[in-house]
Amino acid sequence: MVSRDDDAVPSVLIVEDDDRIRLSLQLALEDEGYVVTAVASAEQGLQRQQSAPADSILVDLMLPGMDGFDCIRGLRRLGDAPIVVVSARDDTHDIVAALEAGADDYVVKPVRVKELSARLRALRRRTRAAAPALPVMTLDDLEVSPEAGEVRVAGAPVSLTRTEFRLLCTLMEQPGRVLSRGALLDQVWQYEFGDERLVDVHVGRLRRKIEVDPAQPVHLVTVRGLGYKLV
Amino acid sequence: MTHLGLRARASAVFAAGAFVVSASLAAGTYQLTRQSLVTERERTATRAAYFDAAVVRQGLATEGAAVVDVLRTLDTGQGRRPLVLRGGQWFARTADTGFTAAVPESLRAVVRDGSPGVQRVSLNGVPTLVVGVPLRDVDANYYELTAQTELQRTLRQLGITLAVGALATTLAGAALGLWASRRILHPLASVARAARTIAAGDLTTRLDPARDADLAPLTDAFNEMVDELEVRVEADRRFAADVSHELRSPLQTLTAATGVLANRRDSFDARTGLATDLVVSEVDRFSALVEDLLELARGDRPVERREVPVAAALRSVCDAHGVEPRFVRVDARLTWPLDARRFERAAANLVDNAKRHAGGVTSLVCDADDDVLRLVVQDAGPGVPPDERRMIFDRFGRGRRASARGGTGASDGTGLGLALVAQHVAAHGGTVEVADADGGGACFIASFPRGRP
Repeated sequence: MVSRDDDAVPSVLIVEDDDRIRLSLQLALEDEGYVVTAVASAEQGLQRQQSAPADSILVDLMLPGMDGFDCIRGLRRLGDAPIVVVSARDDTHDIVAALEAGADDYVVKPVRVKELSARLRALRRRTRAAAPALPVMTLDDLEVSPEAGEVRVAGAPVSLTRTEFRLLCTLMEQPGRVLSRGALLDQVWQYEFGDERLVDVHVGRLRRKIEVDPAQPVHLVTVRGLGYKLV
Repeated sequence: MTHLGLRARASAVFAAGAFVVSASLAAGTYQLTRQSLVTERERTATRAAYFDAAVVRQGLATEGAAVVDVLRTLDTGQGRRPLVLRGGQWFARTADTGFTAAVPESLRAVVRDGSPGVQRVSLNGVPTLVVGVPLRDVDANYYELTAQTELQRTLRQLGITLAVGALATTLAGAALGLWASRRILHPLASVARAARTIAAGDLTTRLDPARDADLAPLTDAFNEMVDELEVRVEADRRFAADVSHELRSPLQTLTAATGVLANRRDSFDARTGLATDLVVSEVDRFSALVEDLLELARGDRPVERREVPVAAALRSVCDAHGVEPRFVRVDARLTWPLDARRFERAAANLVDNAKRHAGGVTSLVCDADDDVLRLVVQDAGPGVPPDERRMIFDRFGRGRRASARGGTGASDGTGLGLALVAQHVAAHGGTVEVADADGGGACFIASFPRGRP
């Protein structure tokens, strides 16, 4: 999968079954300078992403046929393009399930398209926005190459999504330091004010990929009442 | 009027029952025992008196025998006192200390008429049996007084024993009542526990129907109630989710479409431009209103507490709402068990309220003692008149000054911000109130008691 961080014209795929929402999002995102492909079902979305991958993807959860959660899982298998859920549902249950399925972010309708666009820009980065070019970092058997976008655990390459990668780099840059959920939201998602469940679910996802026993993490540990740190 | 508890009443009833049974048993036993003892003693005393009378008659039948000497030949021991009435004169072995007076006139009359008689009297407080036997052939009447001291002592001892027994039985009854009621109430404790778990939001809790067959009606009714509750809560939840979906979907279209219009605002003529502004600002306001209404509708959900770094949470709120750091005073190390999202929403709404209606925040202080976390937000506005201090926390309960100042379009709030603050604070078991700030303006004080995370 080709990384297109610096593309002048970013593309976005919209998977949304409501015709009016789909059209209005398409119009508004085109105004923001995106090349937009909009489809009405998960099946079409997967097909489209396979034939002509977009840089980022917006997915609704309530879709006819295959639902949004399965759509996210399918899209995740196709590549690491950021997936943002745009849903009218705001149950914790739905949010966590969508993030667990592989989504990078979750916004509840109605969302302003300018905000959505900023979200997508932040999510397409592999490393922190303000971070200088980072050297290869190692910690025990963990090796992160920010430039190449590669992570190795005990020499074996591990595939991370961009958000997981950004989260790992952010923690890796400050080893041993406790980062609060708020600080991680700010540095990884560029949220000043946001949903801490994003952090928790992504930490869980990252643990499953880099920890030997995700239930007993030794690298990415929780500091009760404060946040997370990498040791 | 306060009612006694079930346990107190049960032990009182058991005690009363035990008392009635044991007391009547004791009384009956006492009566029967007393009667048989008294009868037995009287018979013995009467027999002894008849025997003594026979001895006295024999003695008196001897020519020239002195009555006192005859009496002295009797072997009567301590308890019995023989008396002889002969020719109107009393004879006794010792000096008369009221014995003769103790022989009642009625008995004397009976004996005088030639019949023997027995009568109970009290002599110096001692129950005494007087037996009278006419001795016709020697022209004398024989009387014998038998003190019943020993009998009295025996009866008193018996009485005490029985009373103590009755008392002990009563106490045992009370204890039994307490124990039994505790046993009976024990299953209610599990009902109470289950009810509390359900109230805390866990609708999957049920009572185990197999535990006690006698409690089956209670268990069944309880479980049915929870089933019903679960169905209703689920229906409410689904309705709220549907409403939320149905309101948010068109708003998404409106928001995106008005965004497109707003982007082209400059190319519109003046009238179209004004109309566009109105649509854009009303869509914003309507979105905010729907968001607040939906949040209010699910506000009765229980809080999800965990240790929250308070300074960090408030910093993100202040950054997002443009409150300058010099106005903020929070201990950086302070953590508190809070529902982070709802605490931040409450703080954000207080800050937003100050910004919209009162010229902005002039001070935001958060500190805690052992039990309570206090968030105090002061503003630069005119303050809230005392008669509006409750009402402003009601839904759509805008104060006069707020609505007077309520400008056009985007600066107007939803009228739900402070109601949401009150709801989020109440969900934490706390309170929010408004007072006058020192330098004028209003001072909102929200307290969050420590709860278990």
